[in-house]
Amino acid sequence: MRDGRTIIAVFVVPLVLYPGLMLFMGWIESQNKKEERALRVRVGIVREAELPTLRPRLESLEGVSTVALDRAPASMEAAGVDAVLVLPPAIEQSIARGDSVKVELLYKDADHKSSAADERMKPVLDDVRRALTVIWARSRGAQADAAPAMSVEHRDISSKAETGRYMAALIIPYILVFMVAAGSMHIAIDVTAGEKERSTLETLLATSTSRGELVLGKCMAVIATALTAGIIGIFGLWFNFTVLASLMPALSSQSIQFSILPEQARFILLTILPTAIFLSAALVALGCFARSMREGQTYSTYVYMASVFLGLGSFRQLGTPPLQRFAIPILNTALLQREILTGTVVPVHAAVALGTSAAMAAIMFVIATRLFSNESVLFRT
Amino acid sequence: MIEVLNLRKTFHDRKKGDIPAVRDISFSCSPGRVFGLLGRNGAGKTTTLRMLATILAPTSGTARIDGLDVNERPGEVRKRIGYLSGDTKLYDRLTGRELLTYFGELAGMSAPSIAGRITELQISFGLRDFLDKRVGKMSTGMKQRLSLARVVLHDPPVLIFDEPTSGLDVMGAREVLRIVQDLRSKGRTIVFSTHIMTEAERICDEIAIIERGSILAQGSVDSLRRGNGGGSLEDVFVQTVGEVASDA
Repeated sequence: MRDGRTIIAVFVVPLVLYPGLMLFMGWIESQNKKEERALRVRVGIVREAELPTLRPRLESLEGVSTVALDRAPASMEAAGVDAVLVLPPAIEQSIARGDSVKVELLYKDADHKSSAADERMKPVLDDVRRALTVIWARSRGAQADAAPAMSVEHRDISSKAETGRYMAALIIPYILVFMVAAGSMHIAIDVTAGEKERSTLETLLATSTSRGELVLGKCMAVIATALTAGIIGIFGLWFNFTVLASLMPALSSQSIQFSILPEQARFILLTILPTAIFLSAALVALGCFARSMREGQTYSTYVYMASVFLGLGSFRQLGTPPLQRFAIPILNTALLQREILTGTVVPVHAAVALGTSAAMAAIMFVIATRLFSNESVLFRT
Repeated sequence: MIEVLNLRKTFHDRKKGDIPAVRDISFSCSPGRVFGLLGRNGAGKTTTLRMLATILAPTSGTARIDGLDVNERPGEVRKRIGYLSGDTKLYDRLTGRELLTYFGELAGMSAPSIAGRITELQISFGLRDFLDKRVGKMSTGMKQRLSLARVVLHDPPVLIFDEPTSGLDVMGAREVLRIVQDLRSKGRTIVFSTHIMTEAERICDEIAIIERGSILAQGSVDSLRRGNGGGSLEDVFVQTVGEVASDA
């Protein structure tokens, strides 16, 4: 607990850094939206007389003013406009003849004010489309004053709890794997290669404790840190999404009921244990092999990256995964946790995942003990 | 009691092949005596002591500590020894008390016996003023006294000191030597390696001059002097080691 880097990895990163980053990103996003709403944009209309209803409709939008133009300007900046709507000549006659017409909306995606003008005009363009439909219908003899007002509205009817469960199933397995790997890597190298570098190893080897017991002790320390990092990581997520987001009005749209049932939490901890043992033993083995902290940190970075990519595999998994995937360490744990969180656990998946992880953990522990008992590895220069 | 017979250690290097570090050395040391290994850097002192401490396994030969073979019963041997090397460090993040407690637990001692032993040692080793200070904040001399306390915490009958005064100032070195002499007077069996002649003269009952992994001369300080015309131990050492060095 007196190692600053471990404390930062286990407590500060999940409780402060990640929630802080997410809140900051959310705040930036809400500020952007606020600024976007406050923007005043000026839209030029070429041949506005062709559709007399267009101008008042555009000016009814918040922060939009219009100006009539004879033709599309060579430079929008020079014309003092942010976007230009170009109506074709003799639009009514063209439509009546059944010709297709094209209304152009000129804007610059690279200019946020111009793209905001484009975004703001989208509903008006639907009106233009409807007006043109009425013209076309009349030309065909229909008695139409307005086009049928049909639109498709995409409305998410998920409750916050449902969204929370979905997000939990998506995020927690990945974050847990990520946190466990991140939480174990520094301490695993510190208690192995670090002992060599600090010249404390020899003292330890001369004690009556057996090599196997020493490795077990080191693995236990790493596992405890890794599990703490995982649990704190979940707490950090819950705190961020449920508490902080609901306390800040600007972020209320991001608040979700990020809930895990107690029995789910117990099963998740059960699944993470063999993986934490496996990762810890693997990192301890690599640390024993490494000649220095720097070498050990290089090795552990590879393990960390592999863990992150395997964890990402669960993120991208759609539907029921094939059984073989539950035999791949780390990925199997993430997939199983996802099944637990969505209430779709397949017993054979759980058996294969837990069995494989436990077997890999045992193999890694044996390797770590052998390396720690091998003087040519421990004292290699 | 320490008994070493034809002890050999060969390291293997991929490029250089076999490198003999210790070549068939033999010596013994009885309780209440200090046996000194005197040699230059790289002569084989540390490798020899690491084999006695069961940190390294001998390539051939035997070493018995308190009648136990280091190869056959390394765990039992470690219970009976205290090992201190001048190069080894302590855990900077622990306080002196935590460090002693940690090593006491590793030695299988109970919590009350650890606490009792710490109380004894803080008096005899003068640890009282800094026992609850973090090791990282201690001076070199404080650390070395704490290291010595760690070595004797579980009260082992055999003590192995590998250049324990390395890096200490005159006062620190004198303090270490005083403690070693005190331990000898309490009947401990002590092996002490050094390359400092005055230290060897002062505390060793018997000395072996080691060079290139072999013992070149062995005996009490007086007998070694007599055998070389009555000069100082340094003269004896230079003459003995110089002959081998010039042969190479």
